[in-house]
Amino acid sequence: MSIATAPTEDKAPTVARRQRFDLQKLLAFGALIVLFGFFSVSSHAFLSWNNVTGILLSASVVGVMALGATFVIATGGIDLSVGTGMTLAAVMTAVFLNPDYLGLPLVLGVVLGIAFGSLIGLVNGVNVAVLRIPPFIATLAMMMAASGLALVISDTHPIYFSDVPGFTSISLGSIIPGANLPNAVLIFFAAVAVAGVLLSKGLIGRYALSIGSNEEATQLSGVDTRRWTIAIYTLAGTFTGLSGVLIAARLNSAQPALGQGYELEAIAAVVIGGTSLSGGRASILGTMIGALLMAVLTNGLQIMAIPQEWQRVAVGVVILVAVFADNVRRRREAGH
Amino acid sequence: MPELLEIRNVSKSFPGVRALSDVSLTLHHGEILGLCGENGAGKSTLMKLLTGIYTMDEGGEILLEGAPVEVEGPREAQHLGLSIIHQEFTLVPDLSVAQNIYLGREPRAFARMAVDDRKLNARAKELLDRLEIKIDPATVVRELSVARQQMVEIAKALSFDSRVLVMDEPTATLTDSEIHTLFELVRGFVTPKTGVIYISHRMDEVKELTDRVTVLRDGEMVGTVPTAETPIRDVIAMMVGRKIDTDQRPDPGRQRGTPVLEVRGLSTAALLKDVSFELHRGEILGFAGLMGAGRTEVARALVGADRRSAGEILIDGEPTTIHNPAQAVEAGIGYLSEDRKRYGLLLDQSVSNNVVLSTLRSFVNGVGLINDAKIATTAEEQVAALRVKTPSVRQLAKNLSGGNQQKVVLAKWLTRSCDILIVDEPTRGIDVGAKQEIHDLLVHLTDEGKSIIMISSELPEVLRLSDRIAVMCEGRITGIVPNSEATQESIMELATKFRTEGMGAA
Amino acid sequence: MRTTKFAGVAVMAAAALVLAACSSGGTTDDASSGGDSSSSSSDAGSGDELYVALISKGFQHQFWQAVKLGAEQAADELGVRMTFDGPDSEAEVEQQLQQLQTALNANPDAIGFAALDSEASIPILEQAQSAGIPIVAFDSGVDSDIPVTTASTDNKAAAAEAATHMAELADHTGDVAIVCHDQTSITGIERRDGFVEYMESNEPDMNVVDIQYGGGDQLKSTDITKAILQANPDLVGIYGCNEGSAIGIVNGVNELNMSGKVIVIGFDSGQAQIDAIKSGLMAGAITQNPVGIGYETVKAAVAAINGEDLPTTIDTGYYWYDSTNIDDPEIQAVLYE
Repeated sequence: MSIATAPTEDKAPTVARRQRFDLQKLLAFGALIVLFGFFSVSSHAFLSWNNVTGILLSASVVGVMALGATFVIATGGIDLSVGTGMTLAAVMTAVFLNPDYLGLPLVLGVVLGIAFGSLIGLVNGVNVAVLRIPPFIATLAMMMAASGLALVISDTHPIYFSDVPGFTSISLGSIIPGANLPNAVLIFFAAVAVAGVLLSKGLIGRYALSIGSNEEATQLSGVDTRRWTIAIYTLAGTFTGLSGVLIAARLNSAQPALGQGYELEAIAAVVIGGTSLSGGRASILGTMIGALLMAVLTNGLQIMAIPQEWQRVAVGVVILVAVFADNVRRRREAGH
Repeated sequence: MPELLEIRNVSKSFPGVRALSDVSLTLHHGEILGLCGENGAGKSTLMKLLTGIYTMDEGGEILLEGAPVEVEGPREAQHLGLSIIHQEFTLVPDLSVAQNIYLGREPRAFARMAVDDRKLNARAKELLDRLEIKIDPATVVRELSVARQQMVEIAKALSFDSRVLVMDEPTATLTDSEIHTLFELVRGFVTPKTGVIYISHRMDEVKELTDRVTVLRDGEMVGTVPTAETPIRDVIAMMVGRKIDTDQRPDPGRQRGTPVLEVRGLSTAALLKDVSFELHRGEILGFAGLMGAGRTEVARALVGADRRSAGEILIDGEPTTIHNPAQAVEAGIGYLSEDRKRYGLLLDQSVSNNVVLSTLRSFVNGVGLINDAKIATTAEEQVAALRVKTPSVRQLAKNLSGGNQQKVVLAKWLTRSCDILIVDEPTRGIDVGAKQEIHDLLVHLTDEGKSIIMISSELPEVLRLSDRIAVMCEGRITGIVPNSEATQESIMELATKFRTEGMGAA
Repeated sequence: MRTTKFAGVAVMAAAALVLAACSSGGTTDDASSGGDSSSSSSDAGSGDELYVALISKGFQHQFWQAVKLGAEQAADELGVRMTFDGPDSEAEVEQQLQQLQTALNANPDAIGFAALDSEASIPILEQAQSAGIPIVAFDSGVDSDIPVTTASTDNKAAAAEAATHMAELADHTGDVAIVCHDQTSITGIERRDGFVEYMESNEPDMNVVDIQYGGGDQLKSTDITKAILQANPDLVGIYGCNEGSAIGIVNGVNELNMSGKVIVIGFDSGQAQIDAIKSGLMAGAITQNPVGIGYETVKAAVAAINGEDLPTTIDTGYYWYDSTNIDDPEIQAVLYE
């Protein structure tokens, strides 16, 4: 009998849910459109296929990283280790693939490189969930340790992929013939799709939001919050590992001194996308838009030859405005 | 002569909800007016309009001494002489009593550059003396008991020289003697120039204190009656729209099944000592006792939320390991905490997400994705079965009234089909009508074969529902009595059976 | 050989990760906190041997590793004990000052110092001066008369040399751009200004149309290069002020399939830059003599301890290298991979 009622009752919620979902994204998305339009008009060079793919490419490394960070932030936690974790994963990928080191086959090396990112996340998760170290501190420690390990393992030298045929095409090749759309961009979009499904339809996403809303109530409801917290940090680490492979493939090298500061860009993308730093509310699409927004802004200002100092001011202002506008909207929705 | 306060044809709409429609109310000079209604009836909304937290819809007006006023915010309200004491405290725990009372309007010294603490404390002491509240104004609020904090809250409200004092559920956390003191304070406040609006669920208080009662239901005004001439039962009937029997007892002929849960020698390092009891199928086992007797602690230790130092748990005769709430749920025990908002609900999430929180796994399809349509169907079934009042299952839990929130928590455990439910203060902060519904629901669940442990501080509730009553004192069970032998007096006697050494020290 | 090295590295990595798992934050690796100290003399600890402490601007970068190498050579030859420390990045002024203070507290016989911020370091340098410890500035100057000498590349002249080659390769006409590492350090300013000033005074038909800063980060420099090329499709050349910037330019040009259409000139060396020059992606680069900088610094320090007279500056030199001379022994000696 419930089957008979289900379809009719279901239509309305789905439509309503979708509308609400879009509304939440509207601000960041609107800002993205406005900026895009503004730069297109201001500079004829902006709206070329090469430049658009360039923007997408430049958003992909931080974007992939930010996807993972979104899950952690949804729980009310934070992951500061994604930047240098990316570097460590890149170095490990080089160690796995470079013939001077292990020289593993391409696919295996890449998988292990990504898995190393998961391992970093796993350690974070255990520190947070089992040892009860506050996420900020646990991942801060990992940020430092990963940065140091990347230097130790590489002996402070960049490791190159020149002798690993096909590796750079992971980021720079184009599997769509003639489209001239770098693979890194496609991988970024695929990662967005996977993360989006995991957040909205996977247990891991639902529990991340539940933990972020009220960890104690979730635990008392019989959810093993400890295990899920570990899983969530591990997932974030996996995306970090993927971003490590992407940056290594793009630079044809693992640069051990890189990465510090990338975590803040990732967190900025997440926040611009409407995910709440206090947890319980998150959006993957928002994070993607946040990453694109920052990439468009930076690229556009560079094309207009605006001095770098002002570019940073502009990004700072965008973050403030995005979060403030989101607050205003939410307060209005609450009816106050 | 104009009335002290008049509210005329006031309405308030939120997106999709009409919280108040066309409500009018009058407060005479020198009067204590009771304001009653179930949760969600619109009492809080009305008060928030009065103090400027919300703005009313077009068409209504508020008159003070016959003059229309526009209240733009809490500060404005205070200037007009309207003071409200909220259910939630608005005190800063780390400041002193005096600092709290005069927060934002401290007497200044040194060309207004510094706070004059001496003058501040003197002024506060004068106020507290006048109100006959015996608290040192220099005490830090954090160190006061909840009841005394309430006194400070009231003193703060009265320090504004208010003409109208609104009190929202002021006695929820107070003991009888403290309530008595509070009533003296309220009566002392009323002069021919002032008036009080007193909001409460407790009918006996309303009866004792007020001159007239105004009743709201579903955002509409039902009527105003003189208190002295109206029986409580009639007021309740106005609130819920039907008559309610208040002196019920469970049917003594109810069948008791086999023991489903046996607890032996349960102890914790902090409080519990050798707590043993049995719970039978289809039974409601009440837990009574004073505050701090250890009833909630029994529940938390039982489900593994707190660490046990000793004790054995048998379910259906089998020893069972329960070290954390996940294992308790696995064993079929669901715990509804006394603090719904903190331990029971995801306030920022939808009703449906809350209903399926403990069963989310069973809504995952073959490829690992959550089936939201199925969740919505289940949630809607539960909402219908428990008669949860919500516009939709997508409504956020925080927007529901207390009784409906409690039903959502209950629905969560029913979805999980837990056989043993521990309900801790199931009707705290819930109005009379919803209380009745929760009671009916609990009885109905036992008819279906569920077994319930009910912890409650309200003796009438314990007597009305429990088949047997376990009474606790100082972390021990001092007696388990069948309902037929229990009276309020006999339970109180067991609840105060302090050990002799404890008494000797005092 | 590298495989066995890896085995050790892998064990270290695993151990460190577990360590990180078991501690809240105290156990950061030495390397990450910037303490890449090394002692070149095997019999460290004998009381009467001379001790020279070098505080560089970094230790992670290849350039600094080459400076360290030169310093170690000099220390070995002269029989002195030498330590080499540097901050995590060239933005960590405070960390560097802390390291300088620590070095001073160890009471060395001389200090070699490459200031990130020369103004900020003056109070500590004054302490050293009053303690009678001579200071040798290296890599970039210190705005003060405290250092007994400065061993460094003349960055402005080196940048002008890069500009000369850019002008020649572009037939003295066209627009060029600069990708620089930062706008505040002395090397950043001098390598930018040396190039710009040469163009302004010697090449009337050439313009520097855009200068952007990528912090020496390859990824950011890549994206910057692409933006510059999008905005200025007629650009004839781009000059990068340091290794990271130069590699970013190569990457950017490559990603836009514009190699051969834009003249790329770099600075310093490193494997990627050497490869780019060999393959023709990069027209050439200026290299400093990092080994020489380290060598001359320690040598000058010992001379100062012994009370010898020193010139106010020791020019450690720079070289232009391209595909024609990259294999010359003279060039190979100053390149690092």
